[in-house]
Amino acid sequence: MWLELIFCFMSTVAFGIIFNIPLRLVWWGGGIGMLTWFIYGTLPEIGFTQVNAAAVAAFTAAFTSHRLAKFKKVPVTTFMIPGIIPLVPGGRAYESMLAFVEENYVNGLGLSVETLLQAGAIAGGVGFALSLFSIGKGAGQRYETDR
Amino acid sequence: MGKAEKTMSLCLTSGKLLLRYGAETYRVEETMYRMAKAAGMHNINTFVTLTGIFLSFRTDDEDDFLQMIRVRERYQDLSKVTAVNQVSREFTHSILSIEEAAEKLREIKKAPMNYPVWLINLASGIGGAAFSYLIGDSFIDIIPAFIGGLITTLTLVLYQKFLNVKFFAEFLAAATGVLAAVGLETGGMVQNMDQVVIGTLIPLVPGVQLTNSVRDLMSGDLMAGVARGAEAAVTSLSIAAGTVVSLSVLYF
Repeated sequence: MWLELIFCFMSTVAFGIIFNIPLRLVWWGGGIGMLTWFIYGTLPEIGFTQVNAAAVAAFTAAFTSHRLAKFKKVPVTTFMIPGIIPLVPGGRAYESMLAFVEENYVNGLGLSVETLLQAGAIAGGVGFALSLFSIGKGAGQRYETDR
Repeated sequence: MGKAEKTMSLCLTSGKLLLRYGAETYRVEETMYRMAKAAGMHNINTFVTLTGIFLSFRTDDEDDFLQMIRVRERYQDLSKVTAVNQVSREFTHSILSIEEAAEKLREIKKAPMNYPVWLINLASGIGGAAFSYLIGDSFIDIIPAFIGGLITTLTLVLYQKFLNVKFFAEFLAAATGVLAAVGLETGGMVQNMDQVVIGTLIPLVPGVQLTNSVRDLMSGDLMAGVARGAEAAVTSLSIAAGTVVSLSVLYF
């Protein structure tokens, strides 16, 4: 696990450089990436499914990024993008593509649904954290009750 | 130039820089709104899509101003977003005057990328290698993944420079990177092919578009959110297509 966390830190910092994040903030992004990977790696061991773990990890990444961005007074995207990168379902996506190349369509469809579910879980986790932080200033309500 | 024209040009420049270098739509709108408000304008309205900015306001003398600009190029350079954010923060807290803020924005516009291109290439190699270890837990495959990630970004930069077509450049970069991985596999240097291919492709993941799409949708900027989501989807599809083309070589 320790080795994985170190590698995760390296990869997240490298992604910070790919996205041109300022050098003084890259290290914080690496820390958030490590936290995300720790949650994503530990939760399946205590009985969560992979998709659930991805959702919880994405929520944690978005939540921590928001707190840190408020503290550092920089845009949230700076921390959120490297924080979410370790969750990208690359393995599943590759396997589904491979299945399609081998004309194993049923298997490929199943795997791509799994990929989409995990992507949706990440989006859901991020969206949930965002909603928590935009309480009171959101747009587009259904009923105009306060008139 | 009067104060209103100066304010208009300052707001539009900062909005254009933010949108071009990958800020969320609501941040662009809010930055322009706050800067115009701090300059003493009323009745401020902003409308930002992924490719253009509208801004209108009314001065103290009841003159109405409306301008729009088109934003064609979009890059991923979050350090410039941070820098513009800082300038707007200082301007709204009246630490900077209009002229100083405009001068700072001009400097940001002219400044080169935060990191040199070779460092970004190297970072994508290291990122690919480290990420491939996370996926597959095999030490031997770190080196081919490093080579693959390096080649992907190296060729992406080249293709974008010479072809100047976004999605096609991503398609070709993915195809070249995976072709290199296939070559290494045929040379017997690769143990887990999936690990190496993922390390090769991960630098191309449209991270900025994906996160910004979710954020835009959640904050009610439906048009920009859907547009960014479509951009991310087309990018992913072109990466997938490039990978499939190169993998077909392996199974030929």
